[in-house]
Amino acid sequence: MRRRDSVLTYATVAPFAIVLAFPFYWMLMTALRADNDLYDIEQVPYKFNAGSPTSANFRFLFEQTDYRQWLQNTALVGLAVVVITLVLALPAGYALARLSGRAGQSLGVGIFLTYLVPPTLLFLPLSRVIAELNLSDRLWSLILVYPSFTVPFSIWLLMGFFKTIPPELEDAALVDGASRLGALARVVFPLSIPGILTVVIFTFSLVVNEFVYAITFISSSEVKTISAGVPTELIRGDVFYWGALMAATLIPAIPLALLYNLFLNRFIAGFTGGAFR
Amino acid sequence: MKDRRERVDISKVDDELTRRDLLRRAALGGIVLVYGGTGAKTAVAGVPKFRHRQHAGTLRIIQWSHFVPAYDRWFDDVYVKRWGDANDTEVRVDHVNLAELPSRAASEVAAQSGHDLFQFLSPPAAYEDRVIALNDVVQQVERKVGKISRVGRRSTYNPRTRKYFGFADNYVPDPVHYRADLWSEVGLRPTTWENIRRAAPRLKAMGNPIGIGMSNELDSNMALIALLQCFGAYIQSPDARITIRSKGTRDALNFMRDLYRRGMTSEVFAWTASSNNDAFLAGRLSLALNAISIARSAEQRNLRFNRDIRILPIPDGPGPRMGLEHVMGVYVIWKFAQNKRAAKKFLVDIGTQYTGHFLNSYFYNFPAFPGSVKRIPARLRRNTSYPNEVPGRYPILDQISKKWTTNVGHPGYSNAAIDEVFNKFIIPQMFARVARGDMSADEAMRAAHREMTPIFRKWRARRKI
Repeated sequence: MRRRDSVLTYATVAPFAIVLAFPFYWMLMTALRADNDLYDIEQVPYKFNAGSPTSANFRFLFEQTDYRQWLQNTALVGLAVVVITLVLALPAGYALARLSGRAGQSLGVGIFLTYLVPPTLLFLPLSRVIAELNLSDRLWSLILVYPSFTVPFSIWLLMGFFKTIPPELEDAALVDGASRLGALARVVFPLSIPGILTVVIFTFSLVVNEFVYAITFISSSEVKTISAGVPTELIRGDVFYWGALMAATLIPAIPLALLYNLFLNRFIAGFTGGAFR
Repeated sequence: MKDRRERVDISKVDDELTRRDLLRRAALGGIVLVYGGTGAKTAVAGVPKFRHRQHAGTLRIIQWSHFVPAYDRWFDDVYVKRWGDANDTEVRVDHVNLAELPSRAASEVAAQSGHDLFQFLSPPAAYEDRVIALNDVVQQVERKVGKISRVGRRSTYNPRTRKYFGFADNYVPDPVHYRADLWSEVGLRPTTWENIRRAAPRLKAMGNPIGIGMSNELDSNMALIALLQCFGAYIQSPDARITIRSKGTRDALNFMRDLYRRGMTSEVFAWTASSNNDAFLAGRLSLALNAISIARSAEQRNLRFNRDIRILPIPDGPGPRMGLEHVMGVYVIWKFAQNKRAAKKFLVDIGTQYTGHFLNSYFYNFPAFPGSVKRIPARLRRNTSYPNEVPGRYPILDQISKKWTTNVGHPGYSNAAIDEVFNKFIIPQMFARVARGDMSADEAMRAAHREMTPIFRKWRARRKI
């Protein structure tokens, strides 16, 4: 019976896994192909011709573009935005969950709605803001702007999560002489690790994927992030450097995938934390 | 690009790293990185404004990442440096993917800040009020090398306001690419649209369909507007009145529906800017309309059918034989530009002496001022250093550029209404509706006319057409 359940589970999951993994397989195969091999439609995507597999696309990335710098810039912006998001979203999420009663619920939904305003509308007015602050062509422009969409979502997510933590635990800490801040730091936040991890991973992923602001506010190659640098350098008019493009997207995908897997259980707990409240 | 920074020896890291440690160290590392970034020369602190600065003035230029990477290297590292030294100006060139140019321009205008010179790849007439007039620049260049080409003038001049809103330094011919080996089996050449229609079913049966896009992208726009012209149909009249409802348009739409059904695949409705190139280079297509990037890419990769790729002018049709430029390099100077004087000087110089640009782009960029490159036919006959170049392939470009290339909006000017019609992809949508069978030719024509009417009305009210 148990064995049959297991088979059934794998049979259900396998098609989804194949469909979801196939793009990564395609990316990997394309990244390892020699340029001419890409255009041999008899071989794509399963077989290699002579000259493949090759590391030429990876070498091209690191030797003939500023890819290393883009990776570094992306990591920098990602970390900074994660820190800013946590600093703002943790107290805001807690306050809305605990301290503001019914109004907090509406306010939380209102804050979440701002997340839904698309960057394709916001980039024009924000361009003016960035120019006024003299931040054009600097990574600070992205560090300033990205929290505008990471913070609302994170507040909403943490709000739901904080509601799952029994207030009695905090009350006990307060009775024992802890301050509100002490109760937060010693009781609430340690219990909220899955939610906080979710925010960290989600925020970082959003930053890595973001394109509109990155391409709008940054011009110089050495200040670009991956999402802006890759299409600029590897798409030249109507000629796409497919091998290098796939290599460039595969490289940041691997650590992100590992990160997701490392904290998968907590990540799921973070997302579903507020679901049953 | 060698990285000389110290590496962390991961073999010395404690093996018993817990998840908590990992997070703690990552957070600490992040803070150090961000904090360090504020003091660094690049990264968070941005690009230093006066790095290696030796000149009095600064000029900032933004343009597309050219299809020929070597052209960008020559332009950035040789041409611009020499020009900067000669004019005591620090020149900084930024590149962006061509699809991102419109959003980049919109953001610079919204911010009222950005580059001194912005190069578009289609005539940006809609920005006329945002840019300075360049009549004096055009006049200076004309005094030195002769008249601007017809396609250049009609893409950058507004006869209503008598203003050159942009400066065309180049345009790119848009020939037909076809596979001679495949077409010889059919016994025809794609010199006329009728030949293409006749050959299409057999080519498709051989597994090599015709590839003319009908989607919201540049190649589709260019090919289909050119097709309209070959059937004597136009978007507007010389005095900027909508003329899309015509017998010529109906015939072109019916022709395309027939061609699609007989000799194309549904891929053309999802065409992107690279689809022509990719499908042709993969050996699937028997014909495509494109700039010479297809032929050059085949040479660079030394494809087995490289020598079978032929270039021809736009096919002849029932109307006048007239194609379009594929892209049009048009520089503008924003009203808010910081260094207008240097920007104008840069344009005068680039317009006056274009030989280096013509050669380093490997015949991709044709001069908008024909007198700025001497002996073009002779240069086209000579081989370049491009790998596996097929001798005799490119001389036809001279004829194509002179006789069969016109501006978008022909027989009128590339005005603001045409710019908007072009950027809203009304023409490809009209063709796609008919080819898919969603509408009859008359219905699609009327729908396109309805979409164009408020656009033309708006720009007429603004006194731009």
